[in-house]
Amino acid sequence: MAFYEQHIHPKPTTFLSKYIFSFDHKVIGKQFLWYGILFLFVGGLMALMIRWTLAYPGQPFPVIGSFLFPETGGAVPPDTYAMLFTMHGTIMIFYAITPILIGAFGNFCIPLMLGARDMAFPLLNMLSFHVAVISGLLLMGSLFTPLGAAAGGWTSYPTLSTLIGSPGVGQTLWSLAIFVLGVSSTMGAVNYITTIITLRAPGMGYFDMPLTIWGLGLTAVLNAIFLPVLGAGVLLLIFDRVFGTTFFLAGAAATTGTGDPVLFQHVFWIFGHPEVYILILPAWGIVSDLLSFFARKPAFGAKATALAMTSITILSTLVYGHHMFTTQMSPLLTQTFMTLTMTISIPSAIFFTNWLGTIWKGSIRFHSPMLFSLGVVFVFGLGGLTGLYLGTVTTDLYLHDTYFVVGHFHYTMAASVLLGGFAATYFWMPKMFGTLMNEFWAKIHFWITMLGLNGVFFGMMLVGYGGMHRRIYNPFIYEFTQKLIPINTFTTWSAIIMGFAQIIFVINFVHAVFFKKEKASDNPWEVGTLEWTIPSPAPHYNFKDIPVVKCGPHELGNPNVIGKDFQYQTEELA
Amino acid sequence: MTTMVVNNHLEREKMVSSIAMVMTLVSFSMLFATLMLGYVAYRFTAEVWPPLGMQRASLGLPTISTVIILMSSFSYFLSENSFLQGKLKAFRAYYFFTLMLGLAFMVSQLFLWKNLKLIGIYVDSTVFGSIIYAFTWIHAAHVVGGILALLFLIPSIRGTRDGGKSQIWLQNVGQFWHFLGIIWVIIYFGIFVF
Repeated sequence: MAFYEQHIHPKPTTFLSKYIFSFDHKVIGKQFLWYGILFLFVGGLMALMIRWTLAYPGQPFPVIGSFLFPETGGAVPPDTYAMLFTMHGTIMIFYAITPILIGAFGNFCIPLMLGARDMAFPLLNMLSFHVAVISGLLLMGSLFTPLGAAAGGWTSYPTLSTLIGSPGVGQTLWSLAIFVLGVSSTMGAVNYITTIITLRAPGMGYFDMPLTIWGLGLTAVLNAIFLPVLGAGVLLLIFDRVFGTTFFLAGAAATTGTGDPVLFQHVFWIFGHPEVYILILPAWGIVSDLLSFFARKPAFGAKATALAMTSITILSTLVYGHHMFTTQMSPLLTQTFMTLTMTISIPSAIFFTNWLGTIWKGSIRFHSPMLFSLGVVFVFGLGGLTGLYLGTVTTDLYLHDTYFVVGHFHYTMAASVLLGGFAATYFWMPKMFGTLMNEFWAKIHFWITMLGLNGVFFGMMLVGYGGMHRRIYNPFIYEFTQKLIPINTFTTWSAIIMGFAQIIFVINFVHAVFFKKEKASDNPWEVGTLEWTIPSPAPHYNFKDIPVVKCGPHELGNPNVIGKDFQYQTEELA
Repeated sequence: MTTMVVNNHLEREKMVSSIAMVMTLVSFSMLFATLMLGYVAYRFTAEVWPPLGMQRASLGLPTISTVIILMSSFSYFLSENSFLQGKLKAFRAYYFFTLMLGLAFMVSQLFLWKNLKLIGIYVDSTVFGSIIYAFTWIHAAHVVGGILALLFLIPSIRGTRDGGKSQIWLQNVGQFWHFLGIIWVIIYFGIFVF
């Protein structure tokens, strides 16, 4: 459409203007990164407590258990268990993945990869982070209320989430926190979309944008459209809890005049299904780029990948009913939703084949970002394929609400996004902080994480197929789940190993950010997108002169280029 | 390579802010669309409406609110037009008229809520009452936001903001103000009339 050049702002000098109230998209990106990593730790700790309870119910959680739950001698009590899985889901989805993939890398990458000096609305960008902090405080505050935090699951279905199911103030704070976070994300989304439309460098058409930007842009579109839907849902839930409205109270509407709990499920999933694509699209984009960069080949079918992601974005809005097959939907509806869900396989297969086509016969460099990207290809393949059994009505009726579902969505949302996030962190580290992380420890981190993660999530799918329900406190009390105890124990130990592997990452990351003397070069990975044409770490004005784009982002391995195997986007196509 | 470079400062501000405004209004529309979706679901699954033999709210006050908000939209339109034609006096007069009508709308809503209580429709008396209160509350909260947005036009009124910038401000605040009017009309016909 059009492009304009932003002014170079003076460099901030005080601590507050530099680190707290900064308008700079790179600083806001880093703020979101630290915010996300902090919550990743909290959510991860909760996951370990959940897993410990499932393997050793009634036994004290090691080390910190007796401090956290003194009344039971350190074992997780049943009501706390419900709070733990609720808060684990909420924190991981809204406070870890969203800030890291969308908040941190969205903010950091969009202007840099487009050749802009900042976002279109820097003030809005800053406010969006500060609103997210308020939301985080509300959520964490709910942990310290008299009856504890929300315990109705991350989906917070009524009547679990109305005053009947959870009388404490924790659930109200949860709803409020989600609403406030929705406001923050919508602000971010409006900013991202405007930036992508108006601030692309001269010469950069939409198909000259890196696929990372495609993923982030489509995510922003979904965020702007569907977060308000959840906003309306939780707003009515807050009204039900605080003002005594009767939207989601159970009862026959015509005779008693009360509401309909299932309506919340509809509203939740109208938002909720696009939400899973909101989470995964940035990771898809990043992986599509990184596979090409490290296979030293142009991305196979880049245009088709972009269009496939776009069609998935559109289709994702039409399939939410597959989460609700067991709510006595009319068979006509279930079959419609099933068919629409299955059509998502087509664009998914297209971009997945493109990923394989990209690495086919490439001269692959197995650096840490590439290892993590290949990890995404593997875990997303598994997660995507197991989704077919949940999208099909007949198999879903058996698998609904079992650990198979938990395993499936962890493979797609947690494993893929986590590995994608790590790939992005290792990859953009030099541009963010000016140093490279230690490659050896990065690879160790990858392999332990990869093994642990597959142990956890595959174990989950196995016990789920064996009939174990999600959200039960003690699987040992049912005869048919007692046979699954060894797998549960295995899953738990896999989780513990995976958890400890993250210490390697934290040490590596903190060392590279604060202590490493050796600076990274401007373009350590030898790729041609715009952010690698400027110094590492990126200066506060990004580009001294706005670059002019002359070729696509994946021009690697061109035999006509002499002396190197890649070319910058600012160079004429050889 | 179809990129054109926009060097005109105002031209670009207009473009950027109008794209953002469209996205913002899409977001707000989805919020209200979800509420209306919920209403439609309750309405069409109920055998009798209003349920439990409750009486409907009288149309008087909602109709007054509708007239006020439509007048304020029209007045805003005249205000913006007078500004574009350089009639600053008319611009100011219509602006204050719009602001007053906005406040009058809020007063009419207060009377509406009071009146509903008088005829026995409470927020917790069936989903019928819940819908009327919750939807009007949410809309009213946005009108308060709209009135605050109108206050952001004061520099244009006092003439301390330059003309081109004022034009962009007027356009964007106007879009939000008219949007609130449209939402109210939908609520009026959807909930009070039918």
